[in-house]
Amino acid sequence: MIDILTSYTFMIVALGTVILAVASGIIGTVSVIKGQSLIGDAVGHATFPGIVLAFMLAGTRETLVLALGALLLGIIAFFTIQIITEHSRITLDGALALVLSSFFGLGMALMSFVQGNPDFEGTQGLSDYIFGQAAYMLRSDVYLILAASGASLLVFILFYQQLKIYIFDPVYSRSIGISNMLMNFMILGITITLIAVGLKAVGAILIVNLLIAPAVVGQLWSDRFFHVLIIAAATGGISAFAGTYISTAGNDIATGPAIILVLSAFVLVSLLSARKGLLRRSILKRKVGERS
Amino acid sequence: METLITIKDLNVAYQEKPALWHVNMSIPANSRTAIVGPNGAGKSTLIKSIMTLIKPISGKIDIDGKDVRHALKRIAYVPQKGEVNWDFPATVLDVVLMGRYVHKGWFKRPNRQDSEIALDALKTMKMEAFRNRQISELSGGQRQRVFLARAIAQNAEIYIMDEPLQGIDITTEKLIIDVMKALQQEGKTFVVVHHQLDTVEDYFDHAVILNKTVIAQGPVEAIWNESNIEKAYYEMSGHHD
Repeated sequence: MIDILTSYTFMIVALGTVILAVASGIIGTVSVIKGQSLIGDAVGHATFPGIVLAFMLAGTRETLVLALGALLLGIIAFFTIQIITEHSRITLDGALALVLSSFFGLGMALMSFVQGNPDFEGTQGLSDYIFGQAAYMLRSDVYLILAASGASLLVFILFYQQLKIYIFDPVYSRSIGISNMLMNFMILGITITLIAVGLKAVGAILIVNLLIAPAVVGQLWSDRFFHVLIIAAATGGISAFAGTYISTAGNDIATGPAIILVLSAFVLVSLLSARKGLLRRSILKRKVGERS
Repeated sequence: METLITIKDLNVAYQEKPALWHVNMSIPANSRTAIVGPNGAGKSTLIKSIMTLIKPISGKIDIDGKDVRHALKRIAYVPQKGEVNWDFPATVLDVVLMGRYVHKGWFKRPNRQDSEIALDALKTMKMEAFRNRQISELSGGQRQRVFLARAIAQNAEIYIMDEPLQGIDITTEKLIIDVMKALQQEGKTFVVVHHQLDTVEDYFDHAVILNKTVIAQGPVEAIWNESNIEKAYYEMSGHHD
């Protein structure tokens, strides 16, 4: 066990996933409270063709290049969702399902095209971006995650008060001179950036869990925004560390799924035992029932 | 009385359906002004236009002769309850502290003085015992008190409220009116969308009767009569041009 904990690869990978999960836990809390969790899911899936396209165009698997491709497709996916809901009768959940599946389908088609094509070399790493394979993370990958997460957290801290008012009461925030459009773009920009840099670690399919699950745990344990953020960040960080350990120790378990399993365990335990969880609630209800 | 808010030829439409047309009005400083009119008369649209939350087709809204966009900090807005995200995990004190935002520097972090101001505002609204309560656990009347406390903490000169008496208990209604009258003594101005016709004379000293356009405006005792009310409520859209 000590061997793994002190090994260089483990430290690099754990550092990357932990920082990513902490930042995602915080920004994901905002999405969850705003009722936008599924936008993260659709955007997460939609970034995958961006990875393959960037590889095809640039002919390299360099992390930054692929992340930029993912970022671009994430933005395109978001605006596609906006355009569909604003200009057609399709509701938001329909638009999300459409964009999620069609973009991801495009990514899969492109990947199978390049994999069987002699013109493209070094395609074997691309499928790692579907489920995530943190064990293959390089130092440069971790640096990118550190830079993106650090910048995201900095922006979040700088605009914390504004964001808080905007999320709770957008009409009031507008009335006291906060730019709601800026707030919305900031939340979105941070979310897509974290998804783009986190794909290699967690994968396009599962990354939404990193955004949502910590927020759900936080909300179950506290009803103060700041505390929810702290709990979400801690839950994300601890799960990422434990998941990375499990994945490194048990040879063939991909890191993404391992982290998600730990997170899901946290959600399950919280659902059952937290102050606002199911068990306590039903006990509380019974007590109230007895009194009346 | 001196004019505080001036609206000149305001026209607003939603998807080409006119909501307000040729609205000209002036609201006197230090008044308690009611905006009254039937459903769909454009009352909320009017105050949202004042708050620059809606972009009008044309028209000019001034406060003290200056464009309203430069005077937003002087206004405290009390929203309708449906406009707020009730899933947001916030305590009563958190919400009232938001009123201090306009007075803060770069990081906007509230300090102890802000907390004292917020607590005083809660005391005024008889809600200090609820300060650590989750906002979503409150009743409609209690929530309305918290929003008014936030407006008081903002220490604005002008209070704009969208149906603050909608769906609240009678104690809260009395308290809101008492606070409104007390703050008027301190020089504040109130613009309130109001839906009960029978209390206009008791609660307000100035009124604007609205149905897409201004039917009547002025001191309550001068314009609050059957003929004006009938014009707004029963002669549906008698105004064509």
